[in-house]
Amino acid sequence: MLLMLMTKQGQEKLARDMAEIAKKKSQWGDVWKRLFRNKRGVLGMGIVVLLLIFVLGANFFTNYDYAVQDVTNRYGMPGREHLMGTDNYGRDIFTRLLYGGRISLMVSMMSVIISGCIGIALGSIAGYFGGRIDLVITRLLDILMAIPALLMAIAISSALGSGPVNTALAISVSGIPHSMRIMRSTVLSIKSNDFVEAARATGSKHMRIIFRHILPNTVAPLIVNSTLQIGGNIMAISGLSFIGLGVQPPTPEWGSILAAGRIFIRDFWPIIVFPAMCIMLTVFGFNMFGDGLRDALDPRLKD
Amino acid sequence: MAELLKVEHLKKYFATPAGQLHAVDDVSFVINKGETLGVVGESGCGKSTLGRVVLKLLDLTDGRIVFEDRDITSISEKDSIALRKEMQIIFQDPYSSLNPRLCVSELIGDPLIVYKMYNKDGRQKRVYELMDLVGLARRFAFSYPHELDGGRRQRIGVARALALSPKFIVCDEPVSALDVSIQAQILNLLQDLQAQQNLTYIFVTHDLSVVKHISTDILVMYLGVMAEKCESKELFRKPYHPYTKGLLSAIPVPNIDHVKRPVELLGELTSPIEPKDECRFLARCKYATDVCRQGAPTYQEVEPNHFVTCHNVREINNL
Amino acid sequence: MSLLEIKGLTIHYETRESVISAVNGLDLSIDESKTLGLVGETGAGKTTTALGVMRLVPDPPGKILGGEILFEGKDLLKATDNEIRKIRGNDISMIFQDPMTALNPIIRIGDQIAEVIQLHGNCSKTEAMVRSLKMLETVGIQPERSIEYPHQFSGGMKQRVVIAMALACSPKLLIADEPTTALDVTIQAQVLELMNELKQQNKTSMLLITHDLGIVAETCDEVAIMYAGEIVEYGSLAQIFRNALHPYTIGLFGSIPSLDKDVDRLNPIQGLMPDPADLPEGCKFHERCNFIDEKCETGELETVEVEPGHFVRCLRVAKGEI
Repeated sequence: MLLMLMTKQGQEKLARDMAEIAKKKSQWGDVWKRLFRNKRGVLGMGIVVLLLIFVLGANFFTNYDYAVQDVTNRYGMPGREHLMGTDNYGRDIFTRLLYGGRISLMVSMMSVIISGCIGIALGSIAGYFGGRIDLVITRLLDILMAIPALLMAIAISSALGSGPVNTALAISVSGIPHSMRIMRSTVLSIKSNDFVEAARATGSKHMRIIFRHILPNTVAPLIVNSTLQIGGNIMAISGLSFIGLGVQPPTPEWGSILAAGRIFIRDFWPIIVFPAMCIMLTVFGFNMFGDGLRDALDPRLKD
Repeated sequence: MAELLKVEHLKKYFATPAGQLHAVDDVSFVINKGETLGVVGESGCGKSTLGRVVLKLLDLTDGRIVFEDRDITSISEKDSIALRKEMQIIFQDPYSSLNPRLCVSELIGDPLIVYKMYNKDGRQKRVYELMDLVGLARRFAFSYPHELDGGRRQRIGVARALALSPKFIVCDEPVSALDVSIQAQILNLLQDLQAQQNLTYIFVTHDLSVVKHISTDILVMYLGVMAEKCESKELFRKPYHPYTKGLLSAIPVPNIDHVKRPVELLGELTSPIEPKDECRFLARCKYATDVCRQGAPTYQEVEPNHFVTCHNVREINNL
Repeated sequence: MSLLEIKGLTIHYETRESVISAVNGLDLSIDESKTLGLVGETGAGKTTTALGVMRLVPDPPGKILGGEILFEGKDLLKATDNEIRKIRGNDISMIFQDPMTALNPIIRIGDQIAEVIQLHGNCSKTEAMVRSLKMLETVGIQPERSIEYPHQFSGGMKQRVVIAMALACSPKLLIADEPTTALDVTIQAQVLELMNELKQQNKTSMLLITHDLGIVAETCDEVAIMYAGEIVEYGSLAQIFRNALHPYTIGLFGSIPSLDKDVDRLNPIQGLMPDPADLPEGCKFHERCNFIDEKCETGELETVEVEPGHFVRCLRVAKGEI
């Protein structure tokens, strides 16, 4: 080392080495960079972030209460007082949408987490161990998959009753087969890599192989899948609430707001257009964001 | 010299929809400490499967494996994990054999964690020692595999295999995916390590010039069976099996004074699924006679320590 | 006159982060019915050169920045898309490394070859089919198998089909990019023999890209050694194999385990190929060279003709020091 420092060549080499260490960035840094280069991904992320800011900080953006009725001020058109007007009870639509978004987002995320956890567990067991276990898990979930998702959700929520948690459960059940299949195929493709065999050759036990070598490599497709599912779940919750099975009034939820307003569709447009736009934009934002993430996380597209 | 590994009548069949695939069929050999057995053959001859069965990464169908005078054919899962400390493997593909989410130091240190060896500092010290040993600059300790080239990646694979100080390593085509100049570096490294630590290798490859360079003995495999086995240099001087002859004549020699022999091997590998009771090489052999159709040839010692599986070996070679 | 002459060809791949100098001022020429072996390691720019000749460099990110590719005296880099399409497959055709992906899995073998013939041969469908069957026979496949699909063929057989397709229109120049790397040795020997026979029958010139000096010794007339996008040594087969002068060429020969001689230890080239996005100044090989002096790190390099037809790109060889 000392000898290296004495020669000019040695110094330069050392400087180059140091630069190389500095240049080394984490893999997630690359992902961010690629995500920011993708215009649609950034657009989607922007929508999602804005939405989260508005929904989580609802108290800061409005002075109204979502449940308080103001009969003197029904059917108010959008204006300075009420950004999106007021509904048939004189409640501020903007406020109801902000608080309703909390429920929609919370419930859809909850159901993604529930179906994700079960799906990951089943999928990694089926994919890793294969054989008979795989056959049983896959067939059982195939049966589940054969039942239309919305019908299933309707059946479950009418059995469990309404409310945010039950709605989340109802929707997550139909999401399980999907997450499980994605997980299973990802695990299968990772399992075929030599490094899994290398881990076995160095004496690692099954659990260690799954948790240290396989699961970390499945993060990318899972994130993408979850993001895309959130959008889909918001639609499903709105659907359930629309037919009266999801969240009950007066708790605002985008679907129930839409359902309550549907009789005024000819006479008073703000009550329908704004919640519909919220759902549309959110689903659009999550889908764009998910697509962007998928491109950013796909190593084959690395430049 | 002391015997390290003895394999007797090893068989590995895989069940396929079309029937039993005879990947390894009745293979026997002995490797002495500090020596290298080269296993050569074309793709699909069962050479990689053989390496994995010996390491017990795959279960065997029939036969016996003796390692350091201990029968390890049917040991318990727990014992086989303890055994992994003694036997390691280096893979062909330096890309898929390294977990992309772990950095170099984690990759090399992984086996140490599994066996709960050293504390954290001691482990890092050992990782640096191993990196020095395989000629990997310490500044790469926290790089990820995708930032390194094939040669350096293969050095990580070698370091990982050495981490537990094994006695025996199966090298499964460790240089096939590398460029010639890098290939030579890795071959030299493997030879140096063998000399330093008295390692024993099974060196699986399709490249005859590499295998000649590194092996003490060579086993030529064809469709799961042993075609010929003898001392390395002897094989190139006196190839007796028609397949070995064909294989040798097929290698392009980088010497313009070398007289090119005409292509000896016609046709392609036949199916290893449910083979008939005849010589497996029959379809491609130009010396085939009726005897070859009437039953599989036996593995016989035609000269001291030179084994050939061929009915007509004496007639063909005027022995 | 030479059939193909490449002068000062420069191809870069430009990405957001870096510029990869794949081919840097490359000169080459191939005479009629001769075979030139282009030898080098991964990342030396061999395949990019071949794609450049075919005008198939993917753009973006690839950019052909300069030089001339004269084919029968006509500059391919200036040809219109229509002209180049006529030349591809008709006058110049290419065989890729991986026979598995070169064939369309859902079209019968015979039809795939016939399609190529029909595209360039100005003939009827039946005539094309007849010629396609003949082609299959020439490459050693029974014509009856023409109604089979690619997945029914083994790797070696597929490569024969690919060769049949490449030679279907009797091209003047065949570019073969590692045609046997994916094959087993015994199959490789069969395919090489077939290629040699066909080449001699049809008087086709060939640019053979490979990393295997053994294949070069058996098939080529001339050899170009490529390193970091440049030709470092160029000469006839005998000149390169008997009198290699460039330290890289010498290093390559030292790296191969020999079948004829017994060597205990190989003499590899030290270090690694430089990053093509960050090539060193001066001689591109100086970091790995055993014979460097100061000039190698900065000096301007020129290719010198050390004996008739034998070119070397090395300062010290030029000065007669090695």
